Amino acid sequence: MSTLERLRLEMDRTLRPQGERPSYSTRMTRRIFLHRSLALGAASAATYGFFPLLNVLDVAFAADGQAFKFAWLSDTHLYPKDVNTRFVDKTVRAVQEVQAMNPPADFLIFGGDLAQLGDPVELRLGAELLKELKIKKVFIPGEHDWYLDMGKTWNEMFGQSPWKLDHKGVRFLGLDTVSHAEDFWTGRKMSPKERMGHMATLDGTLGGAWAAVGPEQIKWLNDALADWPKDKPVVVFSHNPLYEYYPPWNFWVRDWQAVHEVLKPFSNVTNIHGHTHQVLYNEIGKVRSIGMLATSWPWPYAPEGVPILTRPMVRADPGDHFDGVGWSALALTAQARVDNEYRMWRKDVFATAAVDSGTGDNGNQILSPRIADRI
Amino acid sequence: MTTRKRLSLTAGGCVLLAGAVATNQGLAHKAEHTPEQLQAFHGVFMDQVKTGDLLFHGDAATEKRLGVKLSATGMACAMCHPYASDTHPYEFPKFQEQMNEFATLRDMINWCIEKPNEGEKIDPNGEAMKALEAYIYWSNRNARLDPGRH
Repeated sequence: MSTLERLRLEMDRTLRPQGERPSYSTRMTRRIFLHRSLALGAASAATYGFFPLLNVLDVAFAADGQAFKFAWLSDTHLYPKDVNTRFVDKTVRAVQEVQAMNPPADFLIFGGDLAQLGDPVELRLGAELLKELKIKKVFIPGEHDWYLDMGKTWNEMFGQSPWKLDHKGVRFLGLDTVSHAEDFWTGRKMSPKERMGHMATLDGTLGGAWAAVGPEQIKWLNDALADWPKDKPVVVFSHNPLYEYYPPWNFWVRDWQAVHEVLKPFSNVTNIHGHTHQVLYNEIGKVRSIGMLATSWPWPYAPEGVPILTRPMVRADPGDHFDGVGWSALALTAQARVDNEYRMWRKDVFATAAVDSGTGDNGNQILSPRIADRI
Repeated sequence: MTTRKRLSLTAGGCVLLAGAVATNQGLAHKAEHTPEQLQAFHGVFMDQVKTGDLLFHGDAATEKRLGVKLSATGMACAMCHPYASDTHPYEFPKFQEQMNEFATLRDMINWCIEKPNEGEKIDPNGEAMKALEAYIYWSNRNARLDPGRH
């Protein structure tokens, strides 16, 4: 057993009293789902069924809870239009599909990394594309939105995080997990663009373990939950996952254990996160985490640390830039269930064989951190 | 030609060949390597790795210096392959599905440049290709060779 696996088990034992499970069991189910692909058109869309990744969570839903849907969109990584139109095309497609949800989503959560390099031109382009969506929108930032001007434009355009939103018996919390990088730029006399460049490189060295909730926000989280009944649903949105998956790529927040201490009394917590650009599922204690797809491109699974509860997505075809990406439609149902449907723009979402998964197939892969950016 | 004569010619050829090899070895290894020499060899390799690392991560100055255009979409190799993951250099050569042909790592690199990145194919024996190859192999060093594996 690896050190990470041991740590995870230890945290799970610490946070979850013996014999307890999350108040609702989590099952991964298969359901035939007709892919309503805008690209294929309505006529061909009904010709095949496929197994979407559907996390069915049996929720001990509050008595006053009502059924509703919401949508997650993130990691659009928009460049200015003259550099790249394919990311624009995919954002437009996702926005159109969210707008076409029937019944409609109550709101959209945008989970960060709207821009690629934090450029106001990119952020304005994102705002323009999202304007087509007529439903309520809430936002949390990604590191790509932040490090050109340290969140100034982002906060002006999309509002500050953290925030809380009570909606139909559920407390939604939006966190900022991106603004806590240690200052590597001042001493090196870097320009804002250079700083952004390092932060925008997933496998960069200088950014270090930048993903964090931070002491102030952990206190805020504690206060934001102080008046909330322990058995009522809580959904926490974060750009980075709230557990340790793969720190070198910031597939975590460095203070995840402190976050889980705050969430520990609550029996019904779902963390929904972006950043990892891949199908992910994990449980720690009573908290479940669901990783969302990007619209821009899929990241490979990290060489280690993929939660064993994750059923991996199929390998994407690099020749098709609409492959392996998409968005998520989520529903909280009055029948005490939370559904997450990945709307991935392809026929098969799950890998059915290890050779097609990009995780089980990588046993021979031994990787080293990059070297040319250690300046 | 008799069997004896053929054997004699073969033996003569072997002597000549052995002499040539010995001469070459003599030129290459007059003395044991000094630590400085080994350091220099490693330096040459790591310079290539660093250049490849920069190209792989979309460094515009390095592309300009080497006269290559690896992408026209803003995408760099590392955006799909952080730490050169999922490049599987140890599996080449192999039948590569996207190309529908038996391919080397250099073929695959050029396919990625041309197709997903919409860049311009590079000289398969040029400096940029050697550097990219060096970086990809270095990042995946210590994996076992497994050529032909899909």
